[in-house]
Amino acid sequence: MTNTLKIDSVLRPEVLVIGAGGAGLRCAAAICENRPGTSVVAVTKVHSPQKSHTSTAQGGMAAVDPNDPMDKIVYHMFDTWKGSDCSADQNIIKKVCESAWEQIVWLERHGMHFSRTEQGRIAKRPFGGHMLNFGQVKAFRACYEADRTGKGIMDTVWGETLKYGITFLNQSIAVELLFDNDRCIGAVVFLEQSGKFVVILAKATIMATGGKTRMYQVSTNCKQNTGDGLALVLQAGLPVMDVEAVQFHPTGIVGPGILASEALRGEGAVLRNAEGEPFMERYAPTARDLAPRDLISRCIMKEIREGRGCIHRDHKLPHVWLDLRHIPEHVHKTRIQEVCGFFRKFVGVDPQHELCPVTPTAHYQMGGVPTNEFGEVQRNAQQIVQGLYACGEFAAASLHGHNRLGTNSLLELITMGKVVGDKIAEYIKDADLPPESPPEGTGCEIFSRFSRYFEARGKESYAIIRDELRQTMMEKVGVFRTGTGLSETIDKLTELKSRAGQMQLHSRSLVMNQELVQFWELDHLLEVSMVIAQCALARKESRGGHYREDYPERDPEFHHHTLAFMREYGNVNLDKRPIDMSIYEAKGEHYEKFGIIERKY
Amino acid sequence: MSKEYDITLKISRYDPDTDQSWIQDYELRVGGILRFVDLFRKINDEQDATLAWSSSCEHAQCGTCGMRINGKPLLSCELLVEMAVEMFRTNVFKVEPLTIAPVIRDLVVDLERAYARVHAAKPYLISPASPNPQGDEFRIQPRVLDRYVEATRCINCFCCATACVTQKNYLGPNAMLVNIVRLMDPRETAKKERLDILYGEQGSPRCRTAQACSFVCPKEIDIAHFIALAKEGAIG
Repeated sequence: MTNTLKIDSVLRPEVLVIGAGGAGLRCAAAICENRPGTSVVAVTKVHSPQKSHTSTAQGGMAAVDPNDPMDKIVYHMFDTWKGSDCSADQNIIKKVCESAWEQIVWLERHGMHFSRTEQGRIAKRPFGGHMLNFGQVKAFRACYEADRTGKGIMDTVWGETLKYGITFLNQSIAVELLFDNDRCIGAVVFLEQSGKFVVILAKATIMATGGKTRMYQVSTNCKQNTGDGLALVLQAGLPVMDVEAVQFHPTGIVGPGILASEALRGEGAVLRNAEGEPFMERYAPTARDLAPRDLISRCIMKEIREGRGCIHRDHKLPHVWLDLRHIPEHVHKTRIQEVCGFFRKFVGVDPQHELCPVTPTAHYQMGGVPTNEFGEVQRNAQQIVQGLYACGEFAAASLHGHNRLGTNSLLELITMGKVVGDKIAEYIKDADLPPESPPEGTGCEIFSRFSRYFEARGKESYAIIRDELRQTMMEKVGVFRTGTGLSETIDKLTELKSRAGQMQLHSRSLVMNQELVQFWELDHLLEVSMVIAQCALARKESRGGHYREDYPERDPEFHHHTLAFMREYGNVNLDKRPIDMSIYEAKGEHYEKFGIIERKY
Repeated sequence: MSKEYDITLKISRYDPDTDQSWIQDYELRVGGILRFVDLFRKINDEQDATLAWSSSCEHAQCGTCGMRINGKPLLSCELLVEMAVEMFRTNVFKVEPLTIAPVIRDLVVDLERAYARVHAAKPYLISPASPNPQGDEFRIQPRVLDRYVEATRCINCFCCATACVTQKNYLGPNAMLVNIVRLMDPRETAKKERLDILYGEQGSPRCRTAQACSFVCPKEIDIAHFIALAKEGAIG
């Protein structure tokens, strides 16, 4: 089979964007603003950039408005640091929080339809973990477009890049990164619609492939979030960072796990157990229902474990209630219209009059590919990979450490997208052109991978392996983890990987062969899950979204980022990257708030 | 578990390798709360791995899984079996791709040309008004935004364009919305160019006011209302 697979053509733009969601396109827009006329090719797995997972984000983007007499940037920085369980990087926190408002205004000027106050200004709502005066009272800091904030961002950055005339390759997947010595010079891309392989050689390659939580049974992520970007990076011998830090959103709609935004609680919704008790008051007396996500997810699971959950009549799954009945009708109709519609459509509940069934759902990766503060991908804690950049959920700079606050992800897309775009615009000015022809051996890796899929014979079922993977990850690498459970997971993943080699394709076509792409995705899910499980096993402490029941406390010994390499399946090598504490070390005003602080809400 | 149903899906198949089209029947016994995308997955898992179909977010926010079920264009991720049985009063469902785009394989269409019409309507501010002197955001009063905010909810699923009675030389209802939003948006200064798009060859003169767009819109946007306003010159 290998000899029938071939490269069809070569494209030579200046910049290659892998993943055309909010971060990738904000970055592309920044490059074009800096250098109009730059040739950019953006590759997306979905039918159109507008269909990207960014479009499903609901709640808002945190930004301190300089006109706000109460809020201060330092409070936002503190909340992010505290929320991260002291493992975000303070240089990134500072950069992002300080440029937040500027980027909100950029979006607004480029046409985003923000919700407004009576005075016509951008409206703001409270969100989990965002508070005034270093954790005292909730802050109105999240700028939003009803419960369609992600769609607003996506439409805006997509519109801008259309204006600049960048080229989109839709329904296409990057399948192999290309290097010339140690410099990244582009990628091999597979066009699903035509079944052709294209080589794209560029001065700069930016990866913004988003999240990966499709290895969990219950997830808010779109079908395409299968960890392809992370797997590609691992296959290239590069590290991933803090991947054990997976965020479980407390309120997924029971069943499919569709996101029910924290904006609901921002607008006043209350979590209740089977007895009707607003249980968050017990766990987090100050922040209550607006405590950070990791904490609330654990509280919900605890309520369920201790018998105070309910069982859903149709899905037969445990859950708690989200109560929106007391929220005024006009808020239901104007500010949380989409998500109320999801409850009606998918579980037949009218949130204005009935309780809504919710349960924690895999939502976000705090970790990702390690980058420095300019989005340059790192080879290790000291060195970067020339020509390769990353931003958005895919990257770990790291703004979020081991737990992300709601509204900080959209903020990261637009702020870091811009930072990385500016950096690339500067880089491509003087960067050498990539070599005239693709490096020797281009495509070999992916051709042999695809050939394996085509040639494999056996009775193993893709669906069964996929489902076993999702159940295992959900049960043993979920909200609660134990050393035993993680070791069992690693064994299970080894078994699944070997079984995956005995799955047989039912069609030999390359054109829109979705089963072929699913095999490729399953390999990625298995690879990334293995790294998650091993990193989680190695981190013998609890921090943010990573909670070990056998090590329930945070441990100073693990005050570092985890870098993980995996060249061969199951053989994971770990390294460390120090956590940047530059705000604390600068000893400026309030520096003491940025030390290793206690995390109580 | 909710009620179980015995249903038949009659799915339009197309194989680009042999250029053959046919209708294939799949019999399933399923729970009433499954979505149609779950049914396709079930077919892939248990009966036929080669059936190709599209989806992404699977909760009606991205508009990837639009198709025709018993002739009605809709998002297959938000159609539950029990709703479908009630709505169509049958357990047999004809499943076909949208008509506005060429089929690549089975239910997967190539949206490039359909999206080209959205691009032609310029889904951005062509020429934003200059920033206010304070250097911060424009002021838009909620009552101004309220006039067009519904139209901003469009996700370009092309269900309306599929249902539209005008199939030729028309930008289509969703692309019309793109233009209308910016005509009503106080930040857009290129009103002349917008009006040219609106009243142009492929614009509102092509609309025959059948209101099929409003009838099928999965986001329940009254598209026909916006197009009627535009025709009357009652926007901007």
